Amino acid sequence: MFAPVSRWLPLALVVLAALALRTHDLARRPMHADEANQAVKTGELLEHGRYAFDPRDHHGPTLYYAALPVAWVRGETALATLTETTVRLVPALAGVLGVILLFVLALPLGRWLAVAAAAFMAVAPASVYYSRYFIHETLLVSFTLALLLAARRWWTTGRLGWALAAGSALGLMQATKASAPLFALVAVGALLAAAPPRCAARRPFRDVLLALVAALLIAAVFYSSFGTHFAGLRDAFMTYGFSSARAVDGSGHEKPWWYFFSLFGWLKNGGLVWQQIGFSLLAVAGLVAAFIPANKLLRGAAVYTALIAIALAFTPYKTPWHVVHLVPGVALLAAGGLALIPFRPLAFVVAAVVIALQLTQTRLASFLRSSDARNPYAYVHSAPDVLKIRGLAEAALALAPGGSIRVISEEYWPLPWYLRAFPRVGYWTEAPADCDGALVIASATQADAVRARLRGNYRESYLGLRPGFLCVVFTPAVP
Amino acid sequence: MIRSRLALPLAFLALAGAVQAQVPLQLDLPKPLFAGTPRPISLPNLEKPRVGKRPDLMVPAGTVNLSKGMPVTSSDSLPVIGELTFITDGDKSGTDGTYVELGPTPQWVQIDLGAKAKVAAVAVWHFHSQARVYHDVVVQVSDDKDFKTGVTTIFNCDDDDSSKLGKGKDLAYIENFEGKLIDARGATGRYVRLSSNGNTSDELNHYCEVEVHGALVK
Repeated sequence: MFAPVSRWLPLALVVLAALALRTHDLARRPMHADEANQAVKTGELLEHGRYAFDPRDHHGPTLYYAALPVAWVRGETALATLTETTVRLVPALAGVLGVILLFVLALPLGRWLAVAAAAFMAVAPASVYYSRYFIHETLLVSFTLALLLAARRWWTTGRLGWALAAGSALGLMQATKASAPLFALVAVGALLAAAPPRCAARRPFRDVLLALVAALLIAAVFYSSFGTHFAGLRDAFMTYGFSSARAVDGSGHEKPWWYFFSLFGWLKNGGLVWQQIGFSLLAVAGLVAAFIPANKLLRGAAVYTALIAIALAFTPYKTPWHVVHLVPGVALLAAGGLALIPFRPLAFVVAAVVIALQLTQTRLASFLRSSDARNPYAYVHSAPDVLKIRGLAEAALALAPGGSIRVISEEYWPLPWYLRAFPRVGYWTEAPADCDGALVIASATQADAVRARLRGNYRESYLGLRPGFLCVVFTPAVP
Repeated sequence: MIRSRLALPLAFLALAGAVQAQVPLQLDLPKPLFAGTPRPISLPNLEKPRVGKRPDLMVPAGTVNLSKGMPVTSSDSLPVIGELTFITDGDKSGTDGTYVELGPTPQWVQIDLGAKAKVAAVAVWHFHSQARVYHDVVVQVSDDKDFKTGVTTIFNCDDDDSSKLGKGKDLAYIENFEGKLIDARGATGRYVRLSSNGNTSDELNHYCEVEVHGALVK
């Protein structure tokens, strides 16, 4: 009776830790502008059943559709009632799934090392942070791990079912982000580096073809908005024109080639230290173990991580959430590094120390300073001031029921998310002729123009949209 | 006769036509446009640059900086970054290692001038390397180190009394390298306390330097 418990308990504890880290107090951090965009689109799908893939921006459909069952279970049926916790549960649960998939992928290393790999990913600062972030990245990571796992199973067992599962995972990847082909190709490269020389499938070409058909069908279902918007199929191809232009020219997000490596090293910013030295050193040891002596799984992890790292390093457009694609490979390599330690009790101690160090970083990044500009994962993040917007709007409309709220700013996200429950809110990027309202929020650069056009008497205060971007809040003066 | 009898009803009809029932004008308001990831562009200080130097604040002859090197206490006794001594060490640069960071929620710092003083002016530098506004800045002078009695408020921009130190009428301001110069109008006391409640960039409270200018009361 105890054998199954002792066999599964470590993994169960890791999964519970992953779940706790990814779901605790999800509503606390203010919504990033990107999250707010996605959440408002999700709200429109939830309330009106309408979604049309935008080839210019905002990536694939899976994120929005994945939020629907979560919202239904939580009793949320409209944009006004949709909450941060609901939408963020989607990447949170996808992140936990990714931890479990990594454990299964790592089993050829031995059970305790597979648990270690899963634990490293469960507590990794980037994995936890972006599992609490309503964007596509964590879903793409988990679908990629599913592809790797299913493809490996097909290669070693030859069963068509696993090929179809791999095709399904590929289709979900493609329906998540246009960059999916990059990760799929790298996954194939890693599999070839890690797999036995001979495929067990009796009809491999048929299986691959059927897998690709499954992938295409699944992607088509999502891009066509489940058969309601067939122009989305065309747009799924058109997006490559927009996204490749953005990737190549950087679009204001250019960073040096070593940017992602720095996130695994040591950074000091404004008195706060961000480091993953122990984790990275273990991974370097695992790199050695991948080749001396040769370990196919670790070799595959090394190939996967190296190819992704090179692709990310030389793409001008860089945003920190892309780093989550490196975490599974580094976690596997770190587990491989533990295998080099001859005494298992010592390896346990090393693993525990690294996990403890990672947890302090995760606590700092995801809980203590989650929207701080010094946090390398909080990229151009909304300031906590945006959490005051709803209260300001409620107070203003209590004094002027039926009044309008005006937002006049060259940038205004995530305000539409926080004002989603209010019926009369307008958004302008330049001051209109009529600026009066129950509440007027203007960027500091628009404030003079707005002030000149206000006819009433207003009290002014400041509100931060994000660090360095100030808004002036005009509230009618109470006589 | 008929014209005169019709005049009043006609006038009334004309007036009724001119004065119609008033209802609020309902306009269609533009919806928000979806946008991509905001770019990490550093914006300049947003206050209009002043022409010439800051107007002089006139103080009595013999006014000196009373706070240089004086002890500082705080509601946050274990600052996350820096030390409370940074507040009166004379370094206002605002670079790393020159400011103290206090935790979130309202926090105060308090300077002990050593003896009762007549305060002419207080100059305060919060974190000023970026355009930001500190919320609910309140500056007080008192002889009571617990600030329960004899408290004079010399600056208060907490317009909704969220810090429970009274409703203030002073304007919030954008931080810059010049610091905020506050006319203390001769308020007397041994202690000067400065409060704030986060800022437009984060929930934390920061001080680079505080200077209390005045003269000790003999």
